[in-house]
Amino acid sequence: MGEVRRRSPKPLQVNPIKLPQTMGAALAFLGIDRCMPLMHGAMGCASFTKVFLTRHFSEPIAIQTTAVTDITAILDGGDYSIVEAVANITKKVVPELIGLHTTGLTETKGDDIRGVASKVHLPLVHVNTPDYEGGLESGWALAVSALIEQLVEERTQLDQKKVVLLPHVGLTPIEVEKIKEFVARFGFDVHALPDLSTSLDGYLGEKQGALSSGGIAVEQIRKLGDAFLVLSVGASMKRCARALLEKNAGMKHHHFDHLNGLEATDALVGILLEEAPIPEPHPGIVRWRRRLQDAMLDCHFSIGQTRFLIAGEPDQIAGLCASLVEAGGKVRVAVATVDSPQLVGIRAEKVLVGDLEDAEDHRNEYDLIVSNAHGERLAHACGKGLVLRGFPDWEQVGSQLRNDVLYEGGTSFLVEAANAAERMRSK
Amino acid sequence: MSAKPKIRELLDESACTHNAARKSTCNAPIPGATTGGCAFEGAQISLFPYADAAHLVHGPITCLGASWETRETGTTHPGRDFTRMGFTTDISNRDVVFGGEEKLRLAIDYIVGRYRPQALFVYATCVTALIGDDIDAICRLAESEHGIPVVPVHAPGFVGSKNLGSRLGGEAVLKHLVGTREPEHTTDFDINLIGEYNVTGDMWQYAPLLEEVGIRVLSTLSGDGRIADIRTAHRAKLNVLVCAKSLISLTRKMQERYGIPFISLSFYGKRDTSDALLAIAEALGDAALIQRTRAVIRREELSLEEKLAPYREIFRGRKAVLNTGGNKTWSIASALQDLGIEVVATAVRKATEADREKAREYLGEKGVLMMNPGAEQARIIDETGADLLLAGGRSLYTAIKKRISFIDVNQEKKKSYGGYRGLLNLAEDVRNALENPVFRNVARRAPWEK
Repeated sequence: MGEVRRRSPKPLQVNPIKLPQTMGAALAFLGIDRCMPLMHGAMGCASFTKVFLTRHFSEPIAIQTTAVTDITAILDGGDYSIVEAVANITKKVVPELIGLHTTGLTETKGDDIRGVASKVHLPLVHVNTPDYEGGLESGWALAVSALIEQLVEERTQLDQKKVVLLPHVGLTPIEVEKIKEFVARFGFDVHALPDLSTSLDGYLGEKQGALSSGGIAVEQIRKLGDAFLVLSVGASMKRCARALLEKNAGMKHHHFDHLNGLEATDALVGILLEEAPIPEPHPGIVRWRRRLQDAMLDCHFSIGQTRFLIAGEPDQIAGLCASLVEAGGKVRVAVATVDSPQLVGIRAEKVLVGDLEDAEDHRNEYDLIVSNAHGERLAHACGKGLVLRGFPDWEQVGSQLRNDVLYEGGTSFLVEAANAAERMRSK
Repeated sequence: MSAKPKIRELLDESACTHNAARKSTCNAPIPGATTGGCAFEGAQISLFPYADAAHLVHGPITCLGASWETRETGTTHPGRDFTRMGFTTDISNRDVVFGGEEKLRLAIDYIVGRYRPQALFVYATCVTALIGDDIDAICRLAESEHGIPVVPVHAPGFVGSKNLGSRLGGEAVLKHLVGTREPEHTTDFDINLIGEYNVTGDMWQYAPLLEEVGIRVLSTLSGDGRIADIRTAHRAKLNVLVCAKSLISLTRKMQERYGIPFISLSFYGKRDTSDALLAIAEALGDAALIQRTRAVIRREELSLEEKLAPYREIFRGRKAVLNTGGNKTWSIASALQDLGIEVVATAVRKATEADREKAREYLGEKGVLMMNPGAEQARIIDETGADLLLAGGRSLYTAIKKRISFIDVNQEKKKSYGGYRGLLNLAEDVRNALENPVFRNVARRAPWEK
């Protein structure tokens, strides 16, 4: 762990990788079944988000806007536009939940959404997510906290089989599914909040995405309070776990900064074996651990001679760095979108909050870039290798199928990184 | 006087045919029932293709973070390509409280100092408009300090639609750039291409033909555009408005101010491309030029027909349903007809009055103009026996369910369908779609389904 720069010294972002809180919140609501994310802002805020996520996931994205105009921005305190928006939405569909989240515009004008929410006669969760604060991770986490605080019922009894998984925003649909299945193999019923694994992957529905489809049901969220075990993944999700523990004093909680690589997965397995009714892990898990060990050895020669730049959301890059470093990768620079307690733990020589211009300025220090699709121009211009991760990935199909976590995903990530490094060197 | 254009005035465009019918409501999106981008996005679409200018978005991260590098607007600019860069002040809580002017000033200095663009566009957004940052004053000062045009663009998202934003972008160019420089020389056949953004290289499909007959593209707004050129746009003999009604205010004002006439046309499909080339030549009014243009059109059509012949065999008797928006409602229909495909229906929900009129013209009396395509298209496919659905990705399932072929014609397409050569791209895509068994194969029932 090296030098950490928690704030960019520049007055602007050049080629940003940072994404807004509002988008994080919208995405969290998309992991709830039959939910309508309602963004309280100008129509462009929702439109940009919708187009961005549609291209990334190649799935229809349900989202609506309160369509604040220059007139209502001055004259309306949110009462008109929010109540009117809900009325118009329910003319066509009846959502199980409205996920009301604010933007910089409506926070600047100071709307009291909690007050307005009481005037809506539908299940509604509200959260303040101005885009001039935080980023994708915090927006997602704030929405999840709001879902917990406003929906989960308090309980005193515990269901000894029930586990709640709180995944950070960077985990892909397939990763959430793999973690759920992994934990389930220890004899548990696992509920992910939110659950993108069933909503933004493999969608072939007839409806044109009027509401989110798949994801955790609102009724299931209400009853999460009797889970005996809470697993949070990613530093951004700690606050969500705290909110959930408020609902039942008997709950146990284990936190993981990430679940990438051998060490982190071993830690998860250790804890699950302590908590689980079964004495030893499923043979499939044992098999995948051996495969990861094998892949680490097979890949170490290539990865060990490669210098990496990793850019993205703090929770995701923390995991990717750990995975590469375990196999001998030299992570020279990690560029994070925003500040996070996670940064001090990231296994890179330099960790900075910044943008892709910063990445370009360090171009002599690395050979291979792990970043979102905006890194492509940089990789091309500077002759670097590229592994695409994070939001957005518009260049490749199947971003929702990319699995980097646990023994299995760690194996395929190392193989992909090693092959990309070799391709780069043979050029 | 403020540099902000009068929005009312822009909405009441006298050169728009439909303006007598619709007035103030043009501009009011409905809460909870609105799709489509905002004014900022419209301004961005119309100005971002200038590859030698930097574009600084003064606002929170949403406005630029989710929108940079989203459109393939190619350029031949040999220097640093600003169309593939994003700049934003990414304002913070502190800026909202204390004002973002200082940050904006520093950001402008940073960009000019490090990247030396030919000009800088500075975009106001909802939050910075609401907190009242004086972008005009900052731009004026920066312009005099740095000696390059620093153009304020007042199209914060909440003032209206994408269309209005494009107009506001055009206004900014007219006010701050057009007429600020003289061209090195002029010709009798100098034109401006207005509203051509060169998405996927559309402009490059036909610009060489213009050059061949002796028409010079003096400047563009803004496909493969250069700042130095648009500054000389007032010396053109003709403004050519390409597929973009939104910039009609600009061309009308240039007619009033500089006496430059304008024509509006499209380069999609064989007929439209030929008509467009000829219309430009005729508008320039030179007999020899018209003759040269006719000759080039003949040659190109002949060569195209030859290349299209094998496709026509495959396409004979095929029917298509089109579900898109804007000018594509008729321009792609026209291109499909040029391939010998019958277009039985086109969606007009997201089209202007003028676009609807043109769609009717192209599809004829029998064609269906779908006002609610999501609900209508499946039924129309059944009734007409259509073989092909061209639409956005959301309609894919309709095609699969109906076991017909599908082509995604969203705005992020990577291939040009423009000009004569673009028609061949479209033909190839249509053939691949018609021949691809995937749409039937994925519709197979699972072994456990009855």
